[in-house]
Amino acid sequence: MFTYHLRLAFKSLRRNPVLSALMIGAIALGVGVCSTTLTVYRLMSGNPIAHRNDVLYSVTVDNWDPARPWNEKRPDIAPMEIAYRDAMALGASKIPSRHVVMRKTTFVVDPSRTNGAKPFQVEARLATKDFFTMFDTPFLYGGGWDQAADDGAQNVVVLTRNTNQKTFGDVNSVGRTLQLDGRDYKVVGVLNEWNPSPKFYDLNNGAFDEPEELFVPLSVGAALELPPAGNVNCWRNEPLNSYTDLMNSDCVWHQFWVQLDNDEQVQSFRTLVDNYVRDQKALGRFPRPMNNHLYRPDEWLKHNRVVRNDNRVLVGLSFMFLAVCLLNMLGLLLAKFLGGAPLVGLRRALGASRSMIFRQHLVEVSVIGVAGGLLGVGLTVLGLLQIRTMYENYEGLTRVDFTMGVIAIAIALAAGIIAGLYPTWRVCRTQPASYLKTQ
Amino acid sequence: MEIRPILSAMFRNKTGVVLVGLQIALTLAVVANAAFIIINRMDLINRPKGIDSDNILVVHSYGFGPTYDHLQTVQRDLDTLRAIPGVVAATSTNGIPMSGGGSQNAYGRTPEAAKTTTVSANIYELNEQGVAALGVKLIEGRVFTKEEVQYNPSPTNSDFAPAVILTKDMDHAIFGDEPALGKPIYDGLGQSAVVVGVIENMLGAWVGFDAPYRVLFTSRTASGPTGNYIVRTEPGRSNALIPEIEKKLSALNLPRAIAWVRPHSYFVEKSYRSDSRMVSYLGVIVVLMIVITALGIVGLASFQVNVRTKQIGTRRAVGATRSNIIRYFMVENWLLTTGGVVAGAVFAFAFGHWLSSAYALPRLDPMFVVAGSVLLLILGQLAVFVPARRAAAIPPAIATRTV
Repeated sequence: MFTYHLRLAFKSLRRNPVLSALMIGAIALGVGVCSTTLTVYRLMSGNPIAHRNDVLYSVTVDNWDPARPWNEKRPDIAPMEIAYRDAMALGASKIPSRHVVMRKTTFVVDPSRTNGAKPFQVEARLATKDFFTMFDTPFLYGGGWDQAADDGAQNVVVLTRNTNQKTFGDVNSVGRTLQLDGRDYKVVGVLNEWNPSPKFYDLNNGAFDEPEELFVPLSVGAALELPPAGNVNCWRNEPLNSYTDLMNSDCVWHQFWVQLDNDEQVQSFRTLVDNYVRDQKALGRFPRPMNNHLYRPDEWLKHNRVVRNDNRVLVGLSFMFLAVCLLNMLGLLLAKFLGGAPLVGLRRALGASRSMIFRQHLVEVSVIGVAGGLLGVGLTVLGLLQIRTMYENYEGLTRVDFTMGVIAIAIALAAGIIAGLYPTWRVCRTQPASYLKTQ
Repeated sequence: MEIRPILSAMFRNKTGVVLVGLQIALTLAVVANAAFIIINRMDLINRPKGIDSDNILVVHSYGFGPTYDHLQTVQRDLDTLRAIPGVVAATSTNGIPMSGGGSQNAYGRTPEAAKTTTVSANIYELNEQGVAALGVKLIEGRVFTKEEVQYNPSPTNSDFAPAVILTKDMDHAIFGDEPALGKPIYDGLGQSAVVVGVIENMLGAWVGFDAPYRVLFTSRTASGPTGNYIVRTEPGRSNALIPEIEKKLSALNLPRAIAWVRPHSYFVEKSYRSDSRMVSYLGVIVVLMIVITALGIVGLASFQVNVRTKQIGTRRAVGATRSNIIRYFMVENWLLTTGGVVAGAVFAFAFGHWLSSAYALPRLDPMFVVAGSVLLLILGQLAVFVPARRAAAIPPAIATRTV
């Protein structure tokens, strides 16, 4: 029976090719635009560390200016980064099962001894040892460093796969040395492909930028006075004439995350942070009201407003566009179905029941919907590719994947059926006799 | 032409009329708001930059190794750059205008004001050719002299060099209407510098800031080992000079690498990327919506013609001329579009109000609703013309046929 309906549906579509093309085109356009903006929105609002969302927390404390908040437009929030002294003090706590204090810097990599290439500058991340375990970074060779390396400010380095290729070629370089800023660093690990999108662990300089190109212990940064390469924000009128001044200041330039595995740990750590801030207040720091927070990764992404208002407005407008396409298709379907009423009258007179006519037309509408959906998927692919060519760094955002295709076809089918319900109902209501009387 | 019979005939096919009316209304709501956002963003992108961006190249160099001497490298680099034919001026700098990155600090006209003020400036550490290299217009005073340009090898320092140049906005923010030239300006640590010049407004590093034209030049050579140079070329010559600059600087054989030489337009494009992206997307949606709605109008009109073939034939048989028939359809469409536009205007303002409050976008300017309405009225008339012509071609003989 279903194949019969299908055959009739295709026949009906072929009978009026222009009209059918218009209807399929209208759905395809509506669905194409919608699923393009939806895909970008979905990938922008993704959480690449969702599988550890329950145990990781970004820590903020409000050591800012008593006279004005960190962000005049969002006066309740604390600074997005943390001062060195506060991160180190809080990081010493034994309550979290893991913690990481980190920041960015730059190095000049000199691979001339390893593969003869010329020196080049890279963005690097200085972090304590738990960075790799906390954020689940995949290793191709080797692993991170240990506590001894952190304590002793050892010159060790973890490379990304890309950097490894640029310096050693595509080989296991663990154990070999690489010159950074004129000093030898021992390679202890090489990361596999890792491009969390958005870059949840540090959203300060570009939420969708690629991760840094190599990783070195944080203590090396202090020992060698490596300059900051991210955001450094200060409010206090204090002279900063040496690196030590910077490390002791109220300038915020580090990121601080902890891993808390259960509610007890969360409560204890919150208490610890509050107590620490109270102690600091007694020393004359932290002049603003207490404003300490722990943010899970999904909360952190929202707090940092990774998804922009522009994206939301575009999704809304796309759905309004889909509505117009639907209305269009509704009108065309109505015209077509009512125009085919004589044939329906004939079929009813020959014995077709109302429900059969209803099903027949629904199948026809579904065929249009699915065809429009498939074409819409094609348009979405084109749309996403166009976006990708226009803007670098969007590789992650414009991934053409199975979910997107399913979503697009589902929207198209739903759209087709919604648009088709009223015309189908109308045509089923007609009296067959009226169409058999005159031509 | 009697409106009433047209209206009553129209409402006999209520559904079709409502459908097209809704399409027109929705289209107006979207198009008016989208066009408003587009114009807003374009105004933002087309703001004057203040610098001669088209003729500026930015060089990024980084030193390495124990033998690297930053000040010497800078001096030799500047000498080399300035000697290249086609180069008008060159300066070292700590940051790049409109690059999204740089330094900022708060300043006041007295030490007390500087400690509590919210007025901050985007700082550029430039030498005596700084103004010339950026191509900004000097409106008062003078540029830096060579002797005024200081250098501190430590990258962490709170020095405040002896001379500063302010943009107009920065001048007004600190000194109000009083003349600034020759006066001291203080930082939060009580240090002062003398205002030696005032320049026309230029955009600082962050184009999205509320006060993006508050810029201050300070007479310093930025510390290393990473260094940026701003090089201004004669008009039209900048792209051709890129490889030559790379070659000449590398040929100096110093312990440093030239990371890149980029035209300043690279940074401008990056700064406005999300805004121009929004403009493109909205433009596509606007065009598609207008096309779909036009097709909807054509579709409805064709349907009407088909359904009313006998009626049209009858009218022709009793004496209506072809132009009467055409006019009938045009007036009917005019009425329909007007209805749609009135409803659409209400949607447009409601939608615009919601957008501005929920998403902090500016308030919809009514001109856009008016312009959109006019556009849709014209579009409707154009769209209905071909079906109307077809209707007019129906022969009167149809009236007498029963088949």
